[in-house]
Amino acid sequence: MVRHKSRYLLCEVCVTDRSSLQLLESRTLYGALKAAVIRAHGDYGAALYNIGVAVKYLNAHTGVVLIRSRKNYYRLLWSALPFITYLENRGQRVQCFFNCLHVGGTIRTCQKFLVKYNKQQLHRMLLDCRTDAEKQEIRRSILRCSLTTVREEEADEDESDDESDEDSVKESEKVVLDVCSS
Amino acid sequence: MPVFMDLNIISSNDKKRLKSIIETAAHLGYSTVAINYVVEPQQKKQEFPKPQSVSDIFDKLPVVQGKSSPIKVLNRLTIIASDASHFRPTNEYKSFDLVAVYPTTEKLFHAACMTFDVDIICIAVAEKQPFRFKRAPVNGAIDRGVFFETCYAAAIRDNTMRRYTIANAISFVEICKGKNIIVSSGAENPLELRGPYDIANLGLVFSLSDGDAKAAVSTNCRSVLLHGETRATASGVVYTTKKPITPQKQEEESPVSKKAKTELEYV
Repeated sequence: MVRHKSRYLLCEVCVTDRSSLQLLESRTLYGALKAAVIRAHGDYGAALYNIGVAVKYLNAHTGVVLIRSRKNYYRLLWSALPFITYLENRGQRVQCFFNCLHVGGTIRTCQKFLVKYNKQQLHRMLLDCRTDAEKQEIRRSILRCSLTTVREEEADEDESDDESDEDSVKESEKVVLDVCSS
Repeated sequence: MPVFMDLNIISSNDKKRLKSIIETAAHLGYSTVAINYVVEPQQKKQEFPKPQSVSDIFDKLPVVQGKSSPIKVLNRLTIIASDASHFRPTNEYKSFDLVAVYPTTEKLFHAACMTFDVDIICIAVAEKQPFRFKRAPVNGAIDRGVFFETCYAAAIRDNTMRRYTIANAISFVEICKGKNIIVSSGAENPLELRGPYDIANLGLVFSLSDGDAKAAVSTNCRSVLLHGETRATASGVVYTTKKPITPQKQEEESPVSKKAKTELEYV
């Protein structure tokens, strides 16, 4: 009985047009999730939601969300996610759906997965590029990300790994954003 | 990474919508998708819709998330049958890769499980189950290799539909013990699709076991496709080896091998 174990659900909020994602806030998300869990599992769900669940990370540009829940009850929360059809913020309703990318035991594993996933997205975007300038930009961004991982392998222990993990997540997301906005 | 399939995307005349649905499916990780043409025969002679060829919708198929191959798009026919005469295998059925039937009465359900030449039997989702499932026809269907399908799009749209879907699904799973079930979307627009792991979790809500729930989205769907192939080859033998046939070779081989027919369908 050493510590409380949690499960972190890494989800992506998918919308039809990316600009409407900007309104996303962790408080709205928390409220929407709570409503969905209550609809699906009633009072029992509401009680479990109050003790265990928190929104740990939210990226309004790419729509990536990290939700923490207790290890025993994460399935309950996960089963309520597919039923969310819209998010409401200050009277504006955004039609969306949640796509769960990864379930991890710690934030760090989810971060590692997110870095890999963002790199994959960059590769996919390369296929969709129409102009040469966009292709060049994406190729440069992919190179930047790959160089970071090479540096990670050469670096020594935990702290430098943490920093480079965070850096690489931020970099890869920044790059994804740049390409999306262009 | 296992192969995920979504075998029910309602077809519409709006190509843009179909295109966006298939792109979303590729983004979520589905390797194969089937466009469903639903037919409700009311008169004696009914015209069947002709399946659109995939090149009409897409010039270049979107690549599946996590893999490097493009998404596969198939055609499927669903017949809503309220009378035994509605289902008559004709030549038009052959142009579809998969055939499904949606029985509305108990007699039809029994006939569909035991005798009809179908790949998929749909379970009612939008209404209270009009008849009870019995073990005998269900086991007969499982022996034959026919699969039962539940759609989840109705559950996402409406609260009361959600109750019917879950109730019907659970009562069915009790009878069939979790075998031969597939879960598919029945999506009419791209916001009604859900990722494959989310659907496997929904399977847990339907009281499927862990392995069965994942199989419902991956291996069982693949079995349905293979069953559809046996219908096409008409010999009951499933060809599992596929070698790449160059166009020259195709001209030489075409009168001889039956294999070329199924491979042409996938091109």
